[in-house]
Amino acid sequence: MSKIKVIPCSGIGKVFGLLARESVLMVTQEKCPNDTETLCLAHVVTGDDEVVGKIKGETCITMDGCAKCCAKKSVEETGGIVVKSHKVPDFMKAHRGEEHGTGTYLTEDGWKYAEELAEILVEDVKEIKKGEN
Amino acid sequence: MIENKIGVISCSGEECLGGTISRLAVRKMMEELKPGMVSTLCLPLFIAGDGGEREFAEKYPTIAVDGCSKCCAKRAIEKYSNAVAGSVDVAEIIGEAKALEKPLSTRNLTDEHMEYVKQAADKTSQIFDEIVAKSV
Repeated sequence: MSKIKVIPCSGIGKVFGLLARESVLMVTQEKCPNDTETLCLAHVVTGDDEVVGKIKGETCITMDGCAKCCAKKSVEETGGIVVKSHKVPDFMKAHRGEEHGTGTYLTEDGWKYAEELAEILVEDVKEIKKGEN
Repeated sequence: MIENKIGVISCSGEECLGGTISRLAVRKMMEELKPGMVSTLCLPLFIAGDGGEREFAEKYPTIAVDGCSKCCAKRAIEKYSNAVAGSVDVAEIIGEAKALEKPLSTRNLTDEHMEYVKQAADKTSQIFDEIVAKSV
């Protein structure tokens, strides 16, 4: 069984893109390295044969930084099967008033939020793996 | 003032260290080297074509900052908008093998990585200055 692809948006202008990126790195490198991997969204959006081959028909989870949902849309257009998709701002309600940092760095609250987002992704991974067994 | 109308697009690639460096180099341009003087464009949104990014890159000089030799940002600009005004390939600066190492969380960056960021940002800044000089 190939690894679940967990793909963040590459948003660079605001902290939401960094939160998406850091939460996905936590999942693919620390929390679920045996079950997940990430792909380069910049490469996905080029539609190169090489990357299409990696993603077409594969189970994917996306974490977007804004409502444009570039990661979700791009993965779907490239043939990936997006079984779970999230947007960082959707989980902001419990974090109103906090400062999370910028597109360059996260504050302590930012890291806590990234950790929370990572746990949401981990639950997705568990659910998907459970369905496979 | 052309300084306010120069775009910079990083690939921000999530699969390799070069992408991490490209992203941080562009952030360094925004915050330290050319604050308020560059417009940063989001590559996936640029390719999606619904955020005005393509139109910007058609009208104004745009610099691509890529993390590896696939040069996704440069190719995208040239496919959808116009020839790039300049490009930086991080792999040419830090070496292909290093650029293809695993991507890093910002909390795991070392002084060595920050030196790579500085070198990539300095190269981008140099291209920026050349564009400005040509426009005068």
